[in-house]
Amino acid sequence: MRRLWVAILLWPIVGAAATISGRVTTPDGKPVIDAVVFVQEADPAAASAVRTATMDQIDKTFVPGLLPIVVGTRVSFPNHDQIHHHVYSFSRTKSFELPLYKGEDAKPVLFDKVGVVKVGCNIHDWMSGIILVLPTPWFAKTDSDGLWQIENLPAGHHTIVAWHELSKQKPEETAQPLPAGENVRDLKFTLALGAARPRPAMHGSRRDP
Amino acid sequence: MSWWARSSLRTKIFVAFSALIVAVLAATLTYTQLVVSSEARRTLSRELLTTGQVFDRLMNERATRLQNSSVLLASDFALKRVIATHLDRATYDADTLASAALSYQTRIGVELVWITDEDGVLLAVSPGDAHIGRSMASLTPLREAIETQDSATGIAEIDGRLFQLVAVPVLGPDVIGFLLLGHVIDDAFAARLKSDTASDVSFVTDDRVFASSLPPPSREKYLPSGEFRAGLLRADADHRLSLLTIGGARFLSLVVPVGAHIPKPVYALVQGSYDDALAPLRALTWRIVLIGATALAIALLICVGLAGGILGPVRTLVIGMHEVLRGNLRYRSRIERQDEIGFLARSFNEMVDGLEEREHVKDTFGRFVSRDVADAVLAGRVPLEGERREVSILFQDIRGFTALSQQLDPATLLRVLNRFFTEVVSAVEAEGGVVKQFTGDGVMALFGAPQAREDHAERAVRAALGIVKRLVDLNVLLSEQDLPQLAIGVGIHTGEVVAGLIGPDERVEYGVVGEAVNLASRVEALTKEVTATILVSRDVAARLGERFEMGRAASLPVKGKREPMEVVEVLGFA
Repeated sequence: MRRLWVAILLWPIVGAAATISGRVTTPDGKPVIDAVVFVQEADPAAASAVRTATMDQIDKTFVPGLLPIVVGTRVSFPNHDQIHHHVYSFSRTKSFELPLYKGEDAKPVLFDKVGVVKVGCNIHDWMSGIILVLPTPWFAKTDSDGLWQIENLPAGHHTIVAWHELSKQKPEETAQPLPAGENVRDLKFTLALGAARPRPAMHGSRRDP
Repeated sequence: MSWWARSSLRTKIFVAFSALIVAVLAATLTYTQLVVSSEARRTLSRELLTTGQVFDRLMNERATRLQNSSVLLASDFALKRVIATHLDRATYDADTLASAALSYQTRIGVELVWITDEDGVLLAVSPGDAHIGRSMASLTPLREAIETQDSATGIAEIDGRLFQLVAVPVLGPDVIGFLLLGHVIDDAFAARLKSDTASDVSFVTDDRVFASSLPPPSREKYLPSGEFRAGLLRADADHRLSLLTIGGARFLSLVVPVGAHIPKPVYALVQGSYDDALAPLRALTWRIVLIGATALAIALLICVGLAGGILGPVRTLVIGMHEVLRGNLRYRSRIERQDEIGFLARSFNEMVDGLEEREHVKDTFGRFVSRDVADAVLAGRVPLEGERREVSILFQDIRGFTALSQQLDPATLLRVLNRFFTEVVSAVEAEGGVVKQFTGDGVMALFGAPQAREDHAERAVRAALGIVKRLVDLNVLLSEQDLPQLAIGVGIHTGEVVAGLIGPDERVEYGVVGEAVNLASRVEALTKEVTATILVSRDVAARLGERFEMGRAASLPVKGKREPMEVVEVLGFA
């Protein structure tokens, strides 16, 4: 909470927007895909804005599997399969349930707390998605080369952190201060990843979608 | 003589029959014993190995069923929702979770339901509430389920009881907890296994018995214990068969590892009673023994039958033969049969008929000739054409017989005479002589014919002395009856005669003729002249040796002979 206040105090001082970019790798230099790099400080304006996002269900898979959003975003879960899905989450950040539905029938869900939300389907055990609820709209997902880029970052002092599902470090532990108002290139994050947890399985045989 | 040779025919038949039956019986028993016991062992081994496989499959199937039930349960969204409450302390609903555990236990019909969080900390238990809040992550198979995020099965000990357990993850959609279901492995379970496999099953480590189909009193007796069990449950004991003798009973045992280490390995010990498997053999053995005993009894009956049918007549014939040997020629077999025995009996009777007839002939013959002559004739020792041989001839005569015959009445005369002749015949026959002729008051006796005797002269002299001796006794008897005493003269001569059958066919008689006969009569006649009782010719005396006391010797003229005859008086034994 204290950091939040610091950010609010610093906000008017900063000037023009900047673009920052970089790369996330493992300690041995391999690119980390599907890592999320974001500005740690909360943006009060972000909460007030009306935002929507979509986590689709196509071919019995959540698309995208990882959906970073700003806190306060309403996420809709359209079902583009010809069968029913039963989307739910038991996560502390957001617990919800969209009982059996097809198409666009489900109401969008408001994610009003920052944190990780694991999403599943009650009918299809292998369907698993993550909604990462972030405090700011300034975030980026790494591509297949581990590269990321955040544009229009307002001028000011920012702390940038990186998150990955399998990261052994908490985001705070990856924090890097950013010089105010400058475009920064090649901001590097190194994440040590834990072993990929096996996918939950049933009947002793792993089932893929 | 050996026992066998002495034994009766009946004993021999019985012994032979019995030996044969006993031998066949023993061979049959031995062979049956060998074949059946090896077959029983093979069958029991096969059964036990099958039991081992059935046991493995039963355990696996039970685990699979349990796993399937658990997986279905874990997929229940309501359960997921209740379990997920633990993710947030504010929403955690322990009571609902506990009641859910109880409900699921009833629904699935298991003895144990555990619900843990994603790290293996126990959230709910049914039955009871033991260990809630404690981490059970080290318990097989929960540990494996946590590591693999997948379901796992295993056998573990919980509070001193053995459970077959399955742990399945509860997904939401990541693992939010684990459901652990367990079937207890207890005596009732072992008893069910026994009813499925017909073999006793016990769940043991080397020092504990968790469950057994054996009733508790039998366990100490029939379960291997101590070092013995430890040796049996070695690491290489997997599905190995052993024949054990425990508490006096024999078991074929199969050791099946059940894949649990608590921390000692747990084994299922499958036992089949070897003795029970051999029970049919024992029954068979008794039957064979019974059959054998019956056969022996039948053999005995056959022997009795043989004795009655064959041996009986044979024994009768044997008795008859003994009778005949003892001289009873009136004995006849009464066996009337048409077989070989009948033939034997008829032949026996014919033979005895023959013997009796011959004896009758001999008896009748003997009335007219001396028995010795009759024997010699019947024995064929008398040549029909006659023969020359040297004999001694004895003549005896009663002195003053004419006066005596006038003095006595005829009946007394004959009685005295016959009594005297009886003594004479006895004395002659005692020396092997034959009384050939009765001459009114005297006899003629032959020595050396028809039976040839080397010492006929000596025999004749001994007979003469015998007659004299018997006469002394007879005279004592006569004087007691006031009857006149008898005086006799005996003359003996030795010489060659012609011996043979003399007379017409219907009155043929064995006799001797020759000069020697006349001379013997002359020597007897000389006894009156010289007043001697016994006189022998020189030819006789020359053959006597030193055994007799001789008296006077004289050379006397003989009627009808030109030369005088030399005679010697015999006084008695030397």
